[in-house]
Amino acid sequence: MTRWQRRDLWLGLAFVSPWLIGFLVFTVYPVVASLYFSFTDYNVVSAPRWIALRNYTDLFADPLFGKTLYNTLYLAVIGIPVSLLVSLLIAMLLNNKVRFQGLFRTLYFLPSVVPAVAAALLWRWFLNPDYGPVNEFLWLFRINGPGWLADPVWSKPALIFAGLWGVGGSMVIYLAGLQNVPVQLYEAADLDGAGRWQRFRFVTLPMLSPVILFNLIMGIITSFQAFTNIYIMTGGGPSNSTLVYALYLYQNAFQFFRMGYASAMAWVLLVITAVALVGVFRTSGWVYYEADG
Amino acid sequence: MTPNRTARAARERAGRRPAGSASRWAPGLHRLLATVLAASLLAGGLALAQTEITFWYAWGGSEGQAMQDLVDEYNASQSAVRVRGSFVPIGDGERILASLAGGAPADLVTVWDWMVVPLGYGGALADLTPDLATAGVTADDYLPGIWEYGAYAGAKYGLPTTLNVYGFMWNKDVFAAAGLDPEAPPRTIAELDELTEKLTTVDARGNMRRLGFFPNVTAIYVHAFGGRLFDPETLEPTIDAPENVAAFEWLAAYYKKYDIAKIRRFQAGWGDMASPFNPFYRGQIAMQEGGQWEVAFTAEYAPDLNWGVTNFPAPPGGRPDVTPVQSSFWVVPAQAPHRAEALDFLLWLTAPEQSARFAAELANIPPRQDALALPAFADTITPHMQTYIDMLLTGFVYTPPGLPVGLYLSDQLNQALAAVQDGSATPAEALGTAQRNVLRELEKYR
Repeated sequence: MTRWQRRDLWLGLAFVSPWLIGFLVFTVYPVVASLYFSFTDYNVVSAPRWIALRNYTDLFADPLFGKTLYNTLYLAVIGIPVSLLVSLLIAMLLNNKVRFQGLFRTLYFLPSVVPAVAAALLWRWFLNPDYGPVNEFLWLFRINGPGWLADPVWSKPALIFAGLWGVGGSMVIYLAGLQNVPVQLYEAADLDGAGRWQRFRFVTLPMLSPVILFNLIMGIITSFQAFTNIYIMTGGGPSNSTLVYALYLYQNAFQFFRMGYASAMAWVLLVITAVALVGVFRTSGWVYYEADG
Repeated sequence: MTPNRTARAARERAGRRPAGSASRWAPGLHRLLATVLAASLLAGGLALAQTEITFWYAWGGSEGQAMQDLVDEYNASQSAVRVRGSFVPIGDGERILASLAGGAPADLVTVWDWMVVPLGYGGALADLTPDLATAGVTADDYLPGIWEYGAYAGAKYGLPTTLNVYGFMWNKDVFAAAGLDPEAPPRTIAELDELTEKLTTVDARGNMRRLGFFPNVTAIYVHAFGGRLFDPETLEPTIDAPENVAAFEWLAAYYKKYDIAKIRRFQAGWGDMASPFNPFYRGQIAMQEGGQWEVAFTAEYAPDLNWGVTNFPAPPGGRPDVTPVQSSFWVVPAQAPHRAEALDFLLWLTAPEQSARFAAELANIPPRQDALALPAFADTITPHMQTYIDMLLTGFVYTPPGLPVGLYLSDQLNQALAAVQDGSATPAEALGTAQRNVLRELEKYR
């Protein structure tokens, strides 16, 4: 390395140092510290006490660990495909050349810029079993709607339903993907006598597959970390039916002063998320990358 | 340097300053500058002589203003210490926890009751026992059952701010409309069951329109049935005691009879407690657990409501005088930079006069025995409030479990209740599990 290269290196490092220091102090250190705390009895105010794997063994004996994992997976396994499908459908509708296209796109995207807290409060009213618009609508057909968030059977579907409100983000990504599909592919398909469904199945879907993969991965990550809307809408109830992993982790860390246990939970969640993502990548043969030909 | 000499020195310095351009207003400007300089020096000098302590209080709005007024009054009463008060909502205590763990806490902090013993026993809060003894503050100064609140294993980690007291409320108008004696609230669990049945109504859709009663705070019934959540002598949890199991069996029967799913659905439509849409004010629930804050709330949101309050019903052989009490706490962190000064201010803040005034502002009850009769509080007492006070003075007062695992214990009780509600465990099994879990958690603190 020449003197000038070295000088450039130091200069470059100096310029990125605010981020670098922030990353080391506020991300790397807490992550490493939480790994250490996960092997200790730590209530935040007293010194941590080494207990080796006990937090992890306790975790697997804790019925709420299983319950919260089940709730989280339920929301992910059902919620992610539903939201992928709905956002794709909306994106395809908004991709049609109609009057006021820009206005429609804005309107459909708008809910995703509403703060999570406000949206959660709004949905709590929407799904109110007694006077919420959803049940009032159902009553038009003489259907006595369920208790939604107040009913352990319906609370998770209600959360998934409410989650669709925020599909604007993935919708926009789909929309960008749809506009990148070369027109000549559709023209070629037309010449081959492909119908609407075949064009969607053999042109749109493969061309969109990298975007679907991206949305799927983001969906997995965000749904495993779901917290704010559930904290506000149900607080984990009724009967723990919406007590998701991140919420239980938070309770342990800040309400029960079991920071060591919560750290172990965080690491287990990291492993689960990593396994899920590796699984998705390993089975991503269905994704078509244009560059690969 | 005394303030006078500072001012004179400033005047002299200003006087020696060479005159600039022959401006007409130059002498006036000099005087102004001199005054500003003198004032700054004076303020600076005072600030140097004063110790500044930081105080996090948890009230906003008019209540926060009342707190700040007290802070200002204290600051004006002496010159040695200056209290800098800030409104820091407690939330789940994350900010407080972070400041304690980071070793940079405020000097005096307001926390929830469930945080006091875990933080104190963990070494993050000062044990106030010796300081209170030196200051001559004793158990007798406080209302019965309150001195032990926030104490654990002989150490006292904080002082309660103002008390919330729960009673059994009934809507007399709803009673009368249902053809019941509006002056005869239930005294036993059997009477409560009977009245609940009579007062519960369902509409054409099959949805609940009025609930006679809903047992919301589980711990009340554990105590009313004669049980306890932990033994105050041995500090051992007693969650699976036979009385507690009996209380849970009654709760389980209630949930089964009225269908908890239907109740939850009905409750989801209830309005905000601090509004005219409060379900009790609207007659959606005829009898409820309610604290003394209802005195202020009803005056504001339902001035025509005809209601009564009394002790909770109990079964034969149980406790007919259970009085649940809750409070937030003032604590001094162990690492507070100005512990002595913070304690001095705390003693002033919790003295009878201040205690009476702040409680009156919050429509709460002062925790001090000697504050009850002071005009600042006594003049605000309504007949309903007097009933709450009487219950507090004569009843079996219980406060949330002051163990290092207090909130975990409460959560385990809720988990047991959830298991009973969804039928996955019998009351005895559910409470047995809770007892084992709490014991296991408590082991970590031994």
